[in-house]
Amino acid sequence: MAKHSPVTGRYVTIDVDGSEYKVFYLHNGEGQPLICQHTAGCHNHQWRGLLEDEEITRDYNVIAYDLPRHGKSDPPHNWEWWKEEYKLTADHYVNFIVKLCDALELKDPIFMGSSFGGNVALQLALRRPDRFKAVIPVEAADYAPGFFLDWWRHPHANAAQVCGSGVWDLMAPQSPDMDRWLTWFYYTQGSEAFKGDLHFYSVDHDLRDELANIDGRRCPVVMMTGTYDYLTPPEATENTARQIKGGVYIEMEDIGHFPMSENYPLFKVYLKEALRIIKERKG
Amino acid sequence: MSIDAKSWASKYKSLTNNDETIQAMGKYYTCRFLFDMGDRQILVDMHDGKVKDIDTEPGPLDAYDFALRASPQTWREFARPVPRPMFHGIWAASFREDLKLEGNLLVLMQNLRNFTVQFELLRQCGVPV
Repeated sequence: MAKHSPVTGRYVTIDVDGSEYKVFYLHNGEGQPLICQHTAGCHNHQWRGLLEDEEITRDYNVIAYDLPRHGKSDPPHNWEWWKEEYKLTADHYVNFIVKLCDALELKDPIFMGSSFGGNVALQLALRRPDRFKAVIPVEAADYAPGFFLDWWRHPHANAAQVCGSGVWDLMAPQSPDMDRWLTWFYYTQGSEAFKGDLHFYSVDHDLRDELANIDGRRCPVVMMTGTYDYLTPPEATENTARQIKGGVYIEMEDIGHFPMSENYPLFKVYLKEALRIIKERKG
Repeated sequence: MSIDAKSWASKYKSLTNNDETIQAMGKYYTCRFLFDMGDRQILVDMHDGKVKDIDTEPGPLDAYDFALRASPQTWREFARPVPRPMFHGIWAASFREDLKLEGNLLVLMQNLRNFTVQFELLRQCGVPV
């Protein structure tokens, strides 16, 4: 008897700011849409634990996509992308997510993302509170400088291993070896996109003067950060959440910057609390 | 309690040379690096994934590719079986604590997979400061 997962994958083609993207996404579950963004330089397998979690997928339509240039989502098919350095911007990132949600006809989705996915969750709460029921920024902050580095794709080093091992201590030592090495493995696959993603993460994303304009009562913002995250340490997230009207901060003990990927069972404890808060506020 | 440097070096060498994760991709892991622990310097000479030599009393003319410099307190934190947050790796500690990475960092980046694994072996053998 073959052991099939209930998770299925599909492609959908969308146009974003003139770029034609054939987007790959994984999906499982029914009910409230919960759309998930992987971290920079990675892909949707980071959400494998959530996608196969029967308790969550009973009530949530979980969708985890690959951002273009990651995993199975190609770079644009309609222009010569290899002649330009990839530098993700907040505008394009937000436009992409909204276009994807429209194409998938998601009604009042909850958006969850980690790291650069968490930072864009804040951008969505600021720019499109009308389109999302709530956002869950994981390992996020108003500003996260310091990671837009040439090391990620230096031609004199093994970029795959630099990316995999360069993010190794973003994870907690308590997280299981298998899950940490799987995360390492995913990171060896994304080195060409990682630096360009970090242009958004560390350069273009800066909401230090905008937090007061996010209305967490209209679009709840539930932020969660692990105690072993050195890049967005707990105090950075807490400081961000405090400045958002109705913002919520949850500290996650003994976990790092890739919580859904490095230790899903522990992450789930906190995720359930975030979903409970959103349900309480928005139904 | 401070560990005797010679016996520490012997243990660190044995842990490295018998580590399956390093040895699985050990070929070409060749470099020389300095652990500057404030009160003590340790120069590790790696060749094809094996420790060729650990010098616990390097002199000023003993060359290395790159150095990790931090206070003895930070090194002791690195060496806990489960380090506290921000002492759990070289990037965490260089972003948030007093660790300084110096020298030819390209060599560090070229060997980052194995170096990272080897650095964490300090959790098993402690540090001689």
